[in-house]
Amino acid sequence: MTVPSGPASAEVPAVRCRSLGVSFGTVQALHDISLDLAAGRIHALVGQNGAGKTTLAKVLGGLQAPDNGTVCIAGNQIPPGDVRAAKSAGLAMVHQHFSLPPSFTVAEALELAAARPESHSVYRRTELYRRWQNEVAEVGGTNVLATRIRDLPVETRQSLEIVRALASEARILLLDEPTALLTPAATDTLFERLRGLRDDGVTILIVLHKLREVAAVADTVSVLRDGKLVLGPSEISGVSQGQLSDAIVGPAPDADRAIAVEAAANAEQQLLLELVRVSSRESAFEPGLASIDLTVEAREIVGIAGVEGNGQRSLVSVIAGLSAVTEGSVLLGGEEVTRAPPARRRLRGLRLVPFDRNSEGISRSAPLWLNQSALRLIGRRRQFPLISLRQYKRQASEAMDLWRVRYDTVAQPAESLSGGNVQRLVLSRELASGLEVLVAAQPTRGLDFSATNFVRRSLRGLRDAGAGVLLVSSDLDELFELSDRLFVMYGGSIVARFNAPYDRQAVGDAMTGALR
Amino acid sequence: MTGGLQRVASTVLLVVVSFLLTALILWVSGYRVGTVLSGIIQGSITATGAATSTIRWTIPLLLIGLGVVIGFRAGFFNIGGQGQFYVGACSALVVSLGWREGPVPLVIMCGMIAAILAGMAWSLLPGYLRVQFGTDEVLTTLMMSFIGALVLQYLTAGPLRNPSGTGQTAASERIPEAFRITDSSGVSVTALLLVGGVAVLVWLLLERTRFGLTMTLVGRNPTMARWQGIDVRRVGLGTFALSGALSGLAGAVELYGPGARLVTGFSPEVGFTAVVVALVGMLSVWGTVVAAVFFGGLQSAILFLPIVTDLPPPALVLLHGMVAFLVTIKFRAVRRRRTGPAAKPVAG
Amino acid sequence: MEQVLATTLRSAAPLVLVAMAGVFAFRAGIFHLGLEGLMITGAFTTVAVGDATGSVELGILAAIGVCMALSAVYWWVIGPLGANVIIAGLGLTSIGLGGTAFALGAIFDIRGSMFTDVVLPRPVRGATSGPGVIISEHSILVWITPLIVLVAWIVLRRSRFGLRLAAVGEYPFAARSAGVNPSIVRLQALLISGALCALGGAELSVGALRNFTENMTNGRGFIAFVAVIFGAWHPIGAALAGLFFGLADAIGIQSQINITERVPREFVLMIPFVLTIFAVWLGGLWRRRTLEAEAGYAELREPDY
Repeated sequence: MTVPSGPASAEVPAVRCRSLGVSFGTVQALHDISLDLAAGRIHALVGQNGAGKTTLAKVLGGLQAPDNGTVCIAGNQIPPGDVRAAKSAGLAMVHQHFSLPPSFTVAEALELAAARPESHSVYRRTELYRRWQNEVAEVGGTNVLATRIRDLPVETRQSLEIVRALASEARILLLDEPTALLTPAATDTLFERLRGLRDDGVTILIVLHKLREVAAVADTVSVLRDGKLVLGPSEISGVSQGQLSDAIVGPAPDADRAIAVEAAANAEQQLLLELVRVSSRESAFEPGLASIDLTVEAREIVGIAGVEGNGQRSLVSVIAGLSAVTEGSVLLGGEEVTRAPPARRRLRGLRLVPFDRNSEGISRSAPLWLNQSALRLIGRRRQFPLISLRQYKRQASEAMDLWRVRYDTVAQPAESLSGGNVQRLVLSRELASGLEVLVAAQPTRGLDFSATNFVRRSLRGLRDAGAGVLLVSSDLDELFELSDRLFVMYGGSIVARFNAPYDRQAVGDAMTGALR
Repeated sequence: MTGGLQRVASTVLLVVVSFLLTALILWVSGYRVGTVLSGIIQGSITATGAATSTIRWTIPLLLIGLGVVIGFRAGFFNIGGQGQFYVGACSALVVSLGWREGPVPLVIMCGMIAAILAGMAWSLLPGYLRVQFGTDEVLTTLMMSFIGALVLQYLTAGPLRNPSGTGQTAASERIPEAFRITDSSGVSVTALLLVGGVAVLVWLLLERTRFGLTMTLVGRNPTMARWQGIDVRRVGLGTFALSGALSGLAGAVELYGPGARLVTGFSPEVGFTAVVVALVGMLSVWGTVVAAVFFGGLQSAILFLPIVTDLPPPALVLLHGMVAFLVTIKFRAVRRRRTGPAAKPVAG
Repeated sequence: MEQVLATTLRSAAPLVLVAMAGVFAFRAGIFHLGLEGLMITGAFTTVAVGDATGSVELGILAAIGVCMALSAVYWWVIGPLGANVIIAGLGLTSIGLGGTAFALGAIFDIRGSMFTDVVLPRPVRGATSGPGVIISEHSILVWITPLIVLVAWIVLRRSRFGLRLAAVGEYPFAARSAGVNPSIVRLQALLISGALCALGGAELSVGALRNFTENMTNGRGFIAFVAVIFGAWHPIGAALAGLFFGLADAIGIQSQINITERVPREFVLMIPFVLTIFAVWLGGLWRRRTLEAEAGYAELREPDY
């Protein structure tokens, strides 16, 4: 079903697709999508995580071949999954993940993106610098050309992605969640730039998931839900915020009862986690910690806000015992564990929900029961006596049933679960028993609406049962909703501490380092 | 269950394809494939002593192959079994020749322990470099293997050389007959019980202990294992030690069994063949047992073949290479590629 | 001293050629352990075809053809068919070692070693003393090797093809979004790599010597691979590492002649392998920090077999 996209629809639309369908195994990622996007405007595409936004963007950009349906760019039909054809029809993509190789210099990376695939020719460095100096002038000055991509700040990398996309004289720009890693201020700059491009006649399709941002930048909006186009493209002026959020969320799912969490509720200890002037070495991705002071008490959720890459990973790995502390001390339940191995901390009641559940939280190829039982394997003692697998499997299935993980058999590999179910599996393991303090890193990232709610309810339940929770998130709304206290990290330090009720403006300023 | 059956079927198919390709090469080179095939069957099963000889070759392949399985289970490519096998045999030889008068069971016991320790040491050096510094173990275990071969050559040509030996290749003195656990056929009840017991122990270790489960997790996803509080370094060292220990033990069994003395560069292919055995056995203990018998039969046949045809023995190396080249092909990947993109669902 | 330097060049040339092969593969993201097999195949084919036709040029061309064909099959197996890169690479090495020894017996009815009359031209010869010894008696391939390194450097570090190759190895996603098909680029890298292995093998059999011997590469393919890691997969770095291993080899040979009385021969023979372990270790330490930051390295190892 197609909705006319405004007064200019008589012209050839910049992007037209008809009955697109994509499925991954049993998951229908896109279902019968037909869409016309008028030239010279900014079109927003919104939806929950898992609604199919990225998949649609990939199909339009030729990175993903659809199972059925057609895509026309500026009137030219694109063979399925042909990046080069989409490119030569004038479409360029800016990805959610950075697409410039980290070890390349800026000039090399831009040349890689712009060179015609047939061309194998030899170049001189000076030639590259001359060619690209104008394009990067407004991004970081011409001397940025010899810098390696990995040495650049996130905002500059983001801007370079747009330079890269426009380098091949694109007239249609497709941006997939470009604001995910940006501060509010950097987001404003980006939107300013996009408006300028639109006024020069470039068509822009931007994938977003914050309604605030949609209102700020878009001319039209379309909504995806469960792989279907449920709204639009409609003029932004013609839709109310309420209509939009209804379209995004859909009919309310069955209330998913929160699970009674049997936290250890170790009432005798009040101070569960304490970091005293902790510093650590920088890693390849992040600054190290600079003299962090932090406490988590029983019955509270402490939130950590910050733009990603400001030391949150270092903080969590220091608490988990995965990276070394150079100065200061870490205490768990009053016991010093600064130099203790991770296993010791786990046995002391520390539980973790890692940043990336698919690579750090589970082993994708290992069976469910083994993933679920992982915590029972640690410790040096009793490694060699024979065990009963049946008992391990039974306990795993009981725990997974309790947490409503949907699975067929305990022997299936963990990669066969959906994102929300993987997180339930992780929670079923980490929250099972002996928990005193939970460090939850981005626990709802990539989860759909009901799974997100489920996780948030579980965290609250945990707090009410007497545990302490350290919640690291880049979703301010989530932090505002859950945290009893909120700290902001910037450049490896805690730069601000807030108590509820929170002032969005002040927290945002602290995240950009304005308070430093 | 069907997934498991599918894997067995695809492995068998790939092994058959490797054999057909090798047969094609033989046929093109002018050998009569039928003669070779009947020679293989005779040399591995039907000829006098052939079945015994098959088992004799199964023993080292199985022991070293199980070591490879252990390594792979925790995600490590210990491909230096050959060198660990050699230094194991050398240590047992030094113990046995140095203590000729000792009580028989005690000497054998000490020899085997020495062999196990030597194999462990040979494997732990690359293992330590791997877990401590991330040094690639494929290359270091291979280099240690070359060094092990030179250690054997040094001992057999130097300090332990049999002075009355006349042959072209250097060989050591013989150990006293009393120390041997088999006759020259290489098969005896003791040897079979020993190897069978080791296989059962390895199976129990891998599938029925917490250490085995830990190894599996480390092998599947070391990052996740670290987040879970598993000491990945300790598991890594333990894995390398066990893996080397089995190869070292294989060396001792070779000496106390069919060998009785060591010859420079004996059984030169057994280390790499064991890797092939483990892969064909799908890195499971019982699969490896089956594969070891199969490749033991081939090894036995290649020694028999000169009787019926003039096929050069390197043909067996070629065949092993062919199997290794093809056996890890994933049919699943092929099918997915044909029907559609292999991409994973991505949040959007 | 002059003798040592001359031997260094002679030992280093095949190593450097095969190391260049390794650099092309490694930069495209392939942990290529089949170099040894391709090298010995190159050595054998050069001798076999050269001997049959009486022309060393035809021999080398045939070797390049055979090695490129084998590389294409290797690509097919590890790419479209999804086999494990390391195991298939080791398999390729065994196919090379076993296949050449088998062919030696099957075609020429020879076991061990086969002598040949064909030999690569040697531009400078005849010096018996003084600095002239260093450059004397080297085959044309030794002379060309620096040129090949230079060309490899230009192709990898100063051409658009090189950019694409590096992107495929480091971050295939970047390559795909630039409209590059990583699979095709890997094939191209492997074909170049195969041709270079053939040259390395040819130098071994008809450059430095005039024969083919079973297992004559004796681990050189693996040592060349280590040179790639040690040289930080940069063509110049890998070439210098190859030169260093050549020097170690030369010193080993020299000391074998001079000090056999006191040190057993086997211990001298161990030197290159011990050095190699050192090199892998040091090379790993050296590159560790950058590796952490560079996405895509995990792809080289495929840990999930």
